[in-house]
Amino acid sequence: MAPGGYFGRALVVDVDGAAASGRGVDLDERVLRSYLGGVGLGTWLLHRLTPAGVDPLGPEAALAFVFSPLVGTPLTTSAKFAVVAKSPLTGLVTDALASSQFAIAGKLTGNDAVVVRGRADELSVLLVDADGVRLEPAPDLAGLSAAEAEAAAKQRFGRGWRTAAIGPAGERGVRYATISHDGRHAGRGGLGAVLGAKNLKAVLVKSGTKVAVHDPAAVLAAARDLRARSFGPATAKYRELGTLANLLAFNAVSTLPTRNFTSATFAEAPKLAAEQLHELRGVARNSCASCSIGCEHIYSRKGGGTQRMEYENVFALGPLCGVSDPDDVFAASARCDELGLDTISAGGTIAWAMECAERGLIDAPWLRFGDGAALLRALDEIGRNDDGLGALLAQGSRRAAEVVGQGSIDFAPQVKGLEMPGYEPRTLQSMALGLAVNARGADHNRSGAYEADLSGRLDRLDGGTAHVAAAVDTEDRAAVMDSMILCKFLRGVFEEPFPEWARLLSTVTGWDLDADELRATARRIVQAKRAFNLREGATAADDRLPARMLTTPLELGSGRTATLTAERLQTMIAGYYAARGLDADGRIRPADRPELLLDG
Amino acid sequence: MGEQAGVVLAGGRSSRMGRPKSGLEWHGATLLFRTAAVLARVTGPVVVVRAPGQELPALPDGVETVDDPVEGLGPMQGVAAGLAHLRDRAAGAFVCSTDLPFLHPAYVRSVLRGLDDPAVDLVLPTVRGFRQPLAAAYRTALATLIEAQIAEGNLRPGMLLEHCTAVRPDDASLLADPAVAAADPALDSVQNVNTPQEYEQARSRPGPEVRVECFGALARADRRGPRTVPAASLGEAAAAVDLALDRHVVAAINGDHIVRDPRLPLVAGDTVAFLSADAGG
Repeated sequence: MAPGGYFGRALVVDVDGAAASGRGVDLDERVLRSYLGGVGLGTWLLHRLTPAGVDPLGPEAALAFVFSPLVGTPLTTSAKFAVVAKSPLTGLVTDALASSQFAIAGKLTGNDAVVVRGRADELSVLLVDADGVRLEPAPDLAGLSAAEAEAAAKQRFGRGWRTAAIGPAGERGVRYATISHDGRHAGRGGLGAVLGAKNLKAVLVKSGTKVAVHDPAAVLAAARDLRARSFGPATAKYRELGTLANLLAFNAVSTLPTRNFTSATFAEAPKLAAEQLHELRGVARNSCASCSIGCEHIYSRKGGGTQRMEYENVFALGPLCGVSDPDDVFAASARCDELGLDTISAGGTIAWAMECAERGLIDAPWLRFGDGAALLRALDEIGRNDDGLGALLAQGSRRAAEVVGQGSIDFAPQVKGLEMPGYEPRTLQSMALGLAVNARGADHNRSGAYEADLSGRLDRLDGGTAHVAAAVDTEDRAAVMDSMILCKFLRGVFEEPFPEWARLLSTVTGWDLDADELRATARRIVQAKRAFNLREGATAADDRLPARMLTTPLELGSGRTATLTAERLQTMIAGYYAARGLDADGRIRPADRPELLLDG
Repeated sequence: MGEQAGVVLAGGRSSRMGRPKSGLEWHGATLLFRTAAVLARVTGPVVVVRAPGQELPALPDGVETVDDPVEGLGPMQGVAAGLAHLRDRAAGAFVCSTDLPFLHPAYVRSVLRGLDDPAVDLVLPTVRGFRQPLAAAYRTALATLIEAQIAEGNLRPGMLLEHCTAVRPDDASLLADPAVAAADPALDSVQNVNTPQEYEQARSRPGPEVRVECFGALARADRRGPRTVPAASLGEAAAAVDLALDRHVVAAINGDHIVRDPRLPLVAGDTVAFLSADAGG
């Protein structure tokens, strides 16, 4: 019998031509307890179900939709799932989380994960429910946005199905295409291109069973407690203004990446600030399924319509590209949603291209920092991915820089091929380490080390031992939150996270978990992700930041200079390897390998 | 070794004050805390020199202490002890007494800048007609010379002028620095307090004017936009906008250091950004 919150099995779906077949794979309790679910279990499945060196856009590549023991419980923010695959952007592991009823319906197909392999002959949709799987041709959905495809699927198959779909960018192989459902995106690393390469426009799931938890009364009590805490000051920022509240604050502390990381402040930031837009344009607030925070803030667009805005899409399509007109940024965000593009990678790649164009390295004289129309044109060309500039930029900034050459890789804003989020590493040096070493690449959700930089507990401009400890700790906490799964916007409500999470998981699963075991679990998940990357050819040389970050200091308004040298970063990386128990080249020690349960 | 340091002399007898000046309350902190923290905003390592066995009030994080090895030899003995403690880590140091409640970082920076000339050993300001050896910049290498002079019984602060290369900026040259002119036009940086009356008078002055702005969820309707408030410490600035510096709130002083200690000093011209401590997104 499976532990509480689990079915104890993954469904492996092989798509072949015009048909799909599903096979249940038992998940040993030891594996579940070692990896929990979500990102952790997804990484384990990727090891087991994807051959080494696989082409991420080839039929053998596995794409895993992974649920968690908390999905389906009344715990706030637990309706989340992870999508895990080898990234076509980085060639390494990528995992993206999203929240919606898809998580609940997907789990209640009777599976802790649904793994898709193979390729359909024509554009199709895959349907999974408690009775099995089937493939349905769907050529009529070609070119539709994810939202349109979702609506069409609902009409065709009925309201009981929940749909995760790709937009045109995923169909056309843009390496940072997203998978979307209910307006939420599994955004980073090109998962939409992986699904598109399988000729699948969407995966539909329908609930057909129930899952038991170990102690329903205790889970209900915990849910009530957590819900009450979710209304407190730790989540006020998300409730009242959403993540866009970061923009003006980050500008005030010189950590708002601007014009392709040539500056950390943007003079026109107030035009894009949540404080301003909330008063002038705010129309609604919304929540993900099973969430009591309600971080989603929706703004009106000039000429009609509304748009959900987050810090990361405003940063990437605004200051990073030098664009300050909110309507241009709203329009660019909407275009990314329609095409199914990761806004961070899209903005980062276009910002790099704008700098290349201004330096005369690429022939696109129309592409200039600050030009909103140029930004939209670039997005459209990327979405088409047919030839010329669009095809170049559809590969992401690292591959594009390798084509353009002329030193442009030095200012491509990426780590391991993944474009950088809106956290300036020179003025956030714990985060600099987190960005450099994280398995997914430049990432703010798997490494939240900026928390330490902005906590007042250390000098954020003087990276050292304390910053290493902070990067390890925040990475560990993210590994657990992303695997059990709870939304990270809740993290501030936990005063003692590991003990509290252990208690929470114990009530659901029936395991006698404690904080130490959960810390070991976090470490195992981080190690397993690194192990996958090593298997795919990654080395310590991939743990780095773009040369610009290490050679060009930033001047702060206070008169201090933010300098992050290669030597300082390397010292922190060595400290990170030591703290993680890795060898000097960032490899997993053979003695630690059995603990990961990846072999055999 | 180009780093510059700070030295605060805390071992004086405070005989006219009647109680140790280092422990005098100053806007939620102490005079010593404030002086050391102001130096820490400008310099690398900061060291407090105390008399043997002297108890000190709480110091800012990272501030070091060193014992003056011989009590009663006057301030130059303390200067030598501080410089000697730092000479392996810093080329120069701003040296001051504890009792400078209006010391401004712009003044400290301006005086230390005099050591940019490698030929200069000592920057000894003359302000309001008086030499200011305890608001001056010294090469740390001068420790040896000072110790030798003291050994010969020469305890006068002015004795160094005969043995090293000094520059002696006056009021006009100090105020030629636009940053000093803007932040400390009366050169109050050198105003010390020696008696209870002087202390009370200084303490009753309103705090310096600082610009405060709240961001994100902290910027509720009555806190929106920047405002100027009198505040000598971070705690006073927070109180001025009805904020508590709890675990959900941090502050950035001049867009730089992220802090939450209410005792930290503010000076004229500072900007304080209050931010949500939860920066996720």
